[in-house]
Amino acid sequence: MGRIPRDYLINRLVTLVLTILIAATIIWIIPRLSPVDPAEIALGRMAAGAGAVANSEEILAQLRANMGIDQPLIVQYLKYLTGALVFDFGLSTAAFPTPVSTLILNALPWTLGLMILSLIITFFIGNLLGALMVWDRSPKLVRVAIPAAMVFTSIPPILSGLLLMWIFAAKLQWFPLTGAYSIFVEPGWTWSFVSSVLYHGFLPALSIVIVTFGFWALGMRGLMITVQGEDYVKLAEAKGLRPRYILYRYMIRNAILPQITAFALKIGLLIAGQVLVERIFAYNGMGKLLYDAILNQDFPVIQGVSYVIILMTALSVFLVDLLYPFIDPRIRHEAA
Amino acid sequence: MTEETLDKPVLTLRDISIEFPTPKGVVQAVKNLDLTIQKGRRVGFIGESGSGKTTTALAVMQMLAEPGRVASGSIDLAGMDVLALSEEEMRKTRLSRIAYIPQGAMNSLNPVMRVEPQMWDAIIAHEGNMDRTALKQRSDAALASVGLPAHTGELFPHELSGGMKQRVCIALGIILNPDLIIADEPTSALDVVTQRQVMQTLKDIQEQIGSGLILIGHDMGLMAQSVDELAVLKDGELVEHGTVKQIIEAPKHPYTQDLISSVPLVGGDSFLNPDRNADAPKRDSQEPLLRFENVRKDYGAVTALHPMSFALQGDTPQIISIVGQSGSGKSTMGSIMLGFNPPSQGRVLYEGQDVQKMSAAQSLEFRKNVQAVFQDPYACFNPFYRVNHALKFPFKQFGLAQSEAHTQQAMEEACAAVGLDPDLVLSRYPHQLSGGQRQRLIVARALMLSPKLLIADEPVSMVDASLRATILSNIYDLKDKYGISILYITHDLATAYHVSDYVMVLYKGHVVEAGPPKEVIGQPQHPYTQLLIDSIPWPDLERSWGDGRGEHDVEKLQAQVERASAVYRGDVAGFDLARV
Amino acid sequence: MAETSMTRAEKRQLRRLKRFDNPWMNPKLIWGVGLLLGIIALGLIGRVLWDPELVFTGSAPLKLPPIGFENIRGQSGVLDHPLGTDGGGRDMLALIIIGAPNTLFVGLLASLIGMSIGIFLGFSAGFLGGRTDDTIRVLADVMITIPPLLILVVFQSAFGDVTLTLMALLIAGFVWQSPTRLIRAQVLSMKQSGYVQMAQLSGASTSHIMFNEMLPNLVPYLFGSFIANVTTSIVTAVGLEVLGLGPQRIPTLGRTIYEAINAGALIQNLWWWWGIPTLLLATMFIGLLLINLGLDEVSNPRLRKLS
Repeated sequence: MGRIPRDYLINRLVTLVLTILIAATIIWIIPRLSPVDPAEIALGRMAAGAGAVANSEEILAQLRANMGIDQPLIVQYLKYLTGALVFDFGLSTAAFPTPVSTLILNALPWTLGLMILSLIITFFIGNLLGALMVWDRSPKLVRVAIPAAMVFTSIPPILSGLLLMWIFAAKLQWFPLTGAYSIFVEPGWTWSFVSSVLYHGFLPALSIVIVTFGFWALGMRGLMITVQGEDYVKLAEAKGLRPRYILYRYMIRNAILPQITAFALKIGLLIAGQVLVERIFAYNGMGKLLYDAILNQDFPVIQGVSYVIILMTALSVFLVDLLYPFIDPRIRHEAA
Repeated sequence: MTEETLDKPVLTLRDISIEFPTPKGVVQAVKNLDLTIQKGRRVGFIGESGSGKTTTALAVMQMLAEPGRVASGSIDLAGMDVLALSEEEMRKTRLSRIAYIPQGAMNSLNPVMRVEPQMWDAIIAHEGNMDRTALKQRSDAALASVGLPAHTGELFPHELSGGMKQRVCIALGIILNPDLIIADEPTSALDVVTQRQVMQTLKDIQEQIGSGLILIGHDMGLMAQSVDELAVLKDGELVEHGTVKQIIEAPKHPYTQDLISSVPLVGGDSFLNPDRNADAPKRDSQEPLLRFENVRKDYGAVTALHPMSFALQGDTPQIISIVGQSGSGKSTMGSIMLGFNPPSQGRVLYEGQDVQKMSAAQSLEFRKNVQAVFQDPYACFNPFYRVNHALKFPFKQFGLAQSEAHTQQAMEEACAAVGLDPDLVLSRYPHQLSGGQRQRLIVARALMLSPKLLIADEPVSMVDASLRATILSNIYDLKDKYGISILYITHDLATAYHVSDYVMVLYKGHVVEAGPPKEVIGQPQHPYTQLLIDSIPWPDLERSWGDGRGEHDVEKLQAQVERASAVYRGDVAGFDLARV
Repeated sequence: MAETSMTRAEKRQLRRLKRFDNPWMNPKLIWGVGLLLGIIALGLIGRVLWDPELVFTGSAPLKLPPIGFENIRGQSGVLDHPLGTDGGGRDMLALIIIGAPNTLFVGLLASLIGMSIGIFLGFSAGFLGGRTDDTIRVLADVMITIPPLLILVVFQSAFGDVTLTLMALLIAGFVWQSPTRLIRAQVLSMKQSGYVQMAQLSGASTSHIMFNEMLPNLVPYLFGSFIANVTTSIVTAVGLEVLGLGPQRIPTLGRTIYEAINAGALIQNLWWWWGIPTLLLATMFIGLLLINLGLDEVSNPRLRKLS
């Protein structure tokens, strides 16, 4: 009791390692299939900066050696994998010679902050509203207004971001158009900085929230309808429990279980959606880093960002899976 | 308890009508029902599904499913007008004055909460917050009163057996000493042995707190053994009401008479009328029709079936019954015979050929000659097709069809033989037919294919009681008129008694007693068979179900059963069971 | 309760109940299909009635507003370009006539391929069991957590320009997982069902059981899964396009938005440049959502009670 069954744990661990390995491999293979030579790109960039480059062949060879792409593929692959383990993706070609890991480390907190905030808000609001849509004691307003609001939720966050940005930032000018904090404040744990961050983060977070709560609300609605018909809910009513207590402890508590699994599966898609939102809001997170890297054909950064995001996804799925037996006691029983 | 309190009505239903608006107009689920329940009395509501018995109970609880409503009449709960109560007042009335023990106790407990908190929240909802020790005391006491140890409270529902869950539900129901307990088919998911224990618990506790009891059910035998009064409902109307004695001994309404006579009794008159004995279809092979060679089946670490060997010769048509409770391995045997489930050890031979190692042609031959009727008539039809697909397809597949017209004719004849009107049923979709109709169609299908062996796995356990006898006689006719040998798998000893030529009683994958039914079921010798027979509730007041409440020490019995060795009670020609 | 209100409520209830009779006459489903057909019709009829050549850069004056509006330079919309023009001098109407069907095409093609893979793998896993099942299950579990957008970003930045079909193929590589899981689960449960056992007893072949007994009953699920996949595919495609990574020379709605953002259309108040494609995409997604909700209600009657 109280412990995670071993088979279950091993199973989840294998999936975690496989996910990371497969994703890392795909990310590594793709650029190598490409006809584009990263050394030439770097040379081109130098040429663009300096006007002309002498002994270009020598420099190319030097660059290749620096990048390690003159070695056999298998060596490159193993080096890449061991590097990935310690988050070493080499140096950025665009912001040479900044290590990719430094760039990512600077961007990561912003993305994580925005993500955790918006994900948690959407998950709670969405599931609560979905539950209220089914509950027979909800105010009429809830049961009419939410389905109407649901229409927004089919839209991807970039589109809602654009709309919000136009209305609240460009037209009404209530919120800043871009950036994660005002350029006039010094980063630090000061009130002016924190408030600036919150102020700048509001629209990006909102654009994620208004379009994703519906996904949870819809799923919850379906689950609640099933739970509503369950015998234990009938018995709860026959026990004379208060309706609100039945809603939370009997209905939502059971209906939420598959949603938590869905949460784990959706994290990847949600992060990807967020990357796009960051891009249009020019928010200082991973999205912007990725976008700039795409513009500059900065492969080490593209790889690094993709890898870190996939790692985050895989880890969140793993964590949810680990917590799940504690939320649903039946899992512990089945696996044991 | 004095006479005075006994006679005070705890529930008075006056002229109750319940309606459900539907697209095709308003459906009257209950019509002008009048009934009074005295304090301390047990009243049974008996009737088939759709007769309005559960609906009436839910109306008393004010828990009718939308859009149902009480259209007229009054419900008086010991002087309180239930229909006039506000929502909050009704909430407080539930459990404290009327307790409802729902059907399907398997899912009646919140799967993510331990048992105790599910009792505590009920107390708190009515009496306000109190400290944990007080709560714990009350829940322990309630669990003890239904014969469960206190540590049961710390378990999750999935860690309890079916019988334990049902007891927890009873414990919950009586925790606030209600005036009236409504138990809706409380034992329908339990096997007979557990059923008797649970019913005994319910009766004891009800007598102890002196409340009224409404027992909803469809089993006349269970009613006869459990209640004082009976209310017979049919299509929403109360057709007969009286003491159990009156009703069982002198039923007035024809429907009540049907209900009573449809319960097969061990030793009573047979519901079958064997008129002729057909010969078995000619066989080319000298090998037995079906042979088990040391067949064992394991599921993981559990052995569902211990090594078993038998041979069914199949030269004369016979019905062999395999009797046991759930978990006895009887259904596993069925699926092994059909080749759906490979045995873990040993071989199943059809006319000398291993069922698991057949060529395509042999397999087709095997399929044609070994057919089945399954328990669930609802699942046996593909919802996508009209029901005739299930009859037509195998007929063509086995090359029996000469032409489209021939197929049609064969289907119509088979339907007629099982008492169905082919024009009415054949071109319907499965959901448009009743369970009984569907099961008869499956029997008709078997008839059309005229196999040499039919495996009937609980063919009547999911159809309404009044139809069971008819369907069983349809199946019996397959042997009697068409010469098909049958392996009848059932938990019902009474029907096995009547239809079979040979009976095997299974317990935890072992044969515990086998022989001709008159001996095995008529005069059982093995303690397990005896226990099973004793546990059957007979619709006969003389034949008591055992008033020795509590004296059935389950563990002692279990030990006794496990110690006893198998009893073989004689053989019949054409079937050889290897003695272990 | 007053009697009049009772009867009114009852009437409403009856009206609602009547709708249950034919599940396919579902207003959500009809609206959703209508919206999507409208977009397809726009593409088909538009090509005939409007000049598709106007999608090329410089074929019209720059940054003209739609009819009835004025841009910051004081120009008002003209009838030749009823929805205005973008910063490259392309006619917005022509852009959406060409671009919207392209976007839908990518979604449908990717989803179709993904579904086919899903049906194949799902049936294989459910039917064959054992090692095959384990492999497919783990693979689907693994792939479902990898966000397609990131892999595709890596791919497209490495390979540069792609065609619409290639993009659809790439996306298809990421939308087979959920149909595979769904079909596998359904096949496993159907394998135990009475009618499949009956078919086995009837000497049915495996292919008969798969295609004649199981597949028809899977249709509502397949439809639902298909529509959900179209949505995912379009979201992914638009995401790539908005990052500037889609096809470079073919007009798509996403690419139009990318160009608008890059050109600072938001600050310059050129709302029609990004707004019209956004609106069209939103319409598309709402249509897909309505179809999905409708299908849910068709296959699950319990959901119908609530709307």
